[in-house]
Formats: sequence, structure tokens, C-alpha cells
Amino acid sequence: MGFKDQETVYTPPTAADVEAAKAKYGRDIYHDFDLDAPVFNDRLLDVLDDIVEKCPVARSQVGTGFWLVAQNKLVREVGQNWRAFSAAGGYMPNRPEGLPFLFPEECDPPIHTAWRTALNPFMGPAVIAEYDATIRADANALIDRFIDRGECEFVSEMGGLLPGWAFFKNVLGVPIEDLDKLVDGVERGTFAPDMAERGAAFGFVFSYLGEYLKKRSEEPPRGDMVDMIAAGVEYDDGNPAPWADRVSVLVDMTFGGIATTTYVMAGGLLWLAENPEARKLLVSDPETYMPRAIEEFARVFPPVVALGRTCTQDVELGGQQLKKGDFVMMVYGGASRDPRVIEDPKKIDITRETVLHSAFGVGIHRCIGSNLARLELRATFEEWLRRIPDYHVKQGTTPVYETGYLRSMRSLHLSW
Amino acid sequence: MRVQIALGKDGGQQGCTGHGRCAVMAGDVYRLDDNGYNIDRGGVIEVPPGLEESARLGVRVCPEGAITLAK
Repeated sequence: MGFKDQETVYTPPTAADVEAAKAKYGRDIYHDFDLDAPVFNDRLLDVLDDIVEKCPVARSQVGTGFWLVAQNKLVREVGQNWRAFSAAGGYMPNRPEGLPFLFPEECDPPIHTAWRTALNPFMGPAVIAEYDATIRADANALIDRFIDRGECEFVSEMGGLLPGWAFFKNVLGVPIEDLDKLVDGVERGTFAPDMAERGAAFGFVFSYLGEYLKKRSEEPPRGDMVDMIAAGVEYDDGNPAPWADRVSVLVDMTFGGIATTTYVMAGGLLWLAENPEARKLLVSDPETYMPRAIEEFARVFPPVVALGRTCTQDVELGGQQLKKGDFVMMVYGGASRDPRVIEDPKKIDITRETVLHSAFGVGIHRCIGSNLARLELRATFEEWLRRIPDYHVKQGTTPVYETGYLRSMRSLHLSW
Repeated sequence: MRVQIALGKDGGQQGCTGHGRCAVMAGDVYRLDDNGYNIDRGGVIEVPPGLEESARLGVRVCPEGAITLAK
């Protein structure tokens, strides 16, 4: 199945669909879509499937209101067209007042091009491959701490730590003693119910990383990504990037580096706990099945549920007329479950040869850390299965989730 | 058999943006440069005999739809 086969005829939700949604979810998900509401946490996948199926372009009344698109084709249409759908208005709907923009995520060419061109070499597959041994050693050091106990809470004891360790040690050079503070800042900045609290939590992350960048700019260079960010890039007008922009780049890299991969790790391990045949397959032939499993887990456990763009002009999208200034959310988690491009999308199947998904975004803003994320995932699953091939969810416990525009797992108790 | 790797407008739009999935899934046909982009982006790859299936796999897994069969 390829892109060319996708249907382009849309059927908006009928009055009956809306009534059915209210009965099923207690909410009109087609016109009252709010990723922060409890039902989107509890029944995210059902909601995404219904949105993809019934509603190519929905309108949320939440806050100042925004559109959302979930079909794979429409998500690509938005993500690949930064001229009409600008990233410079931010990715968050109802953005807290005064929050600085994160570069290069929340800017467009030519500024975006300048930063990505300079940053990409530090996150390319060749450079990342050199981190493999460190990340595997860290995965084993974490497993050492709990393996003899016969149980662990995976998120706080491994899944929430490894991405930070990998990123801090290999990329940032920030002391890992400070990891907890930064993870907390990023998480409250993402999920805190109160928008002002989100702004304050991000404020802490900005000030911590701003000081670190300042300190590094005064030290002898180490030739790493932080040196490059501190030195800055030249913008199109011939001027160097302002200092505030450089801090914002460091914040953006950190944000992406520690807040996302945890969920794919936890989601994958949870599913494997309940699917012993798949575990055996991964242990017997990791070369064939591990890359496929990782793509499949990224597809079905999307850490980034949805990100937004701002219309720079009046534009038609999926049969709806959008106005200049309107905010649009690309529901990546839905695009990866679109039956128009994925056969039997509700089924988790680690043997799929072709896994087409939008977990890392599309267009020039696609995730810069995807190579590192894949390496972390591979190290986690391989080292875990090598040392703990047989395990299950601890009796009497249930995994706890948290969902906003990002999705995360708060706790996952496993025992063996 | 030949496949085309779209460069896209402005060096990115609707073209190769460096996901790297083609090289992961079909490294016998697709190679990446140091920045993670397809080394042949903006051009055409002559697929060696016997690697047609790999080439097609690359077409199917590109999240951007940037790889297409060329005439």
C-alpha cells in the first residue's frame, strides 16, 4: 500500500457520529477535542481511530480553538508545507503567555535551515552509532540495580533515566546529577494542568540551560554540539543568531532528548510482557525483527501525539476552508493508525516489513533525534530481553498513563 | 530499474528530509551522507539486478513519499 492509493474523498462526521461519540466518550470528540481531558488519556487509541475514520478535519472549541487533522495524507500536506502552515507560531495550542519559542522546532526557513544544517551532523547516523557501547553499558548498569530484586518500576528505574543519560553523557555534557531537575521541569512544562505552571517549569529549564551554555562558551571548546550552539549560526541577514535563540536551541534539543523515548520503551516492554511469542522471536533473530519491532512500537506508542502549525494564509485543507492565523494540529498518533496507509492498523505486529508511520513527524521539521531514539530503543529491548527474557506485569498493578500533546507512561511495574 | 530521490522545493519540502528509513530497511540500495540524508537525493539510483525488492521496500517505507520508481 502506498501514498498513491489514498482516497481523497472525505466524509465529515454526521449528527449520528457525534451522538455516538457522546455516548461512547461523554464528549463530542469531533468538535470538542481536548488532548488534556481525561478521556483522551484513558481511551487515546479509540479516540484516534474514530478521528481518523470519521473526521478528516475536526474543529476543537478548546481555548481559542484549533483545527486537527489525523489522516496520513493530510498530516503530510500540513507538515511538508511550511509556507502555508508555519511552525513559527509554535507547536502548542493555547500556548502559555510569554513562553519563548524553541528553535529550530518553532521557526521556518531561512532561520530553520541555518540551524538544522549546523545541527544535523551532530545527530546523523554515523555520529550516533559511536554512542552504542555507552548506551548499552548504561542500560546494563540500570538493570544491575534491580535484576536481583525480581521486580522494578520500569519508568522511574530505567525508561525515564536512560534517554537522559544517553543525551547528557554523549551529546550535552551536562552532569547527570542534574537530570532529575530537568526531567521534572520538562514534564511539568508539558503536562501541568495549569498553563502558568507550565510556563514557570519551562522557565526553570531555560535558566538552567542558559547558564550552562554561558559557562561552556567561556571554556575551551570540546568540539561537540554545545560548542556549536554556543558559537551560533549566521542568519540570512548576515547577523549572528541572538544569544536568546542559541539558548532556545539548547532547550529544544534537551526537551526532545529526554521527554519522548521513555514512552516507546515502556509501551514496547509492556506489550512484550504480554506477548511471549514475540519475545522469543526478538531473542532468536534480533537482526531481522528488532528494527521492525522498533518502528512498530514507535507507530503504536506515539510519544508525540500531535503538534501544531499556524496558517499563514487562507487555505483549503481536506475539504475545509481554513483562515489565515488559524491553528492546526497534526495528529501524528492518528496518521500512524490510518487504514489508508497501514494494513490492519489496530493490530500490533512486529513482523511487519513495511511500517509506515508519522511518529517522527514529516517535512523539514522532522525529529532530529530519531537516529538516537532508535539506538536507545534497540539497546533497551535487546539488553532487557537478553537478561530478563521472561517477565510479566506485576500482579495487582496497572500501568498509569499521562496524555497531552505528548504521551507518557507514569508507572509500569514488571516482575520476573 | 531506477528509483528517484526527490530533493523537494527549498531542499526539503516533499523531498528527502533525512528520516533514514530507506537505509535502515534496504541498506543494499540506499546510503546516507554524514548528515543522515540519502546520498543520492535530488538524483536517480540505478538499481543493480537482484536488488529490485529492496528498492521497492525503500519506496514503501519513506515517510515523506520522497522515493519513487523512475522510468
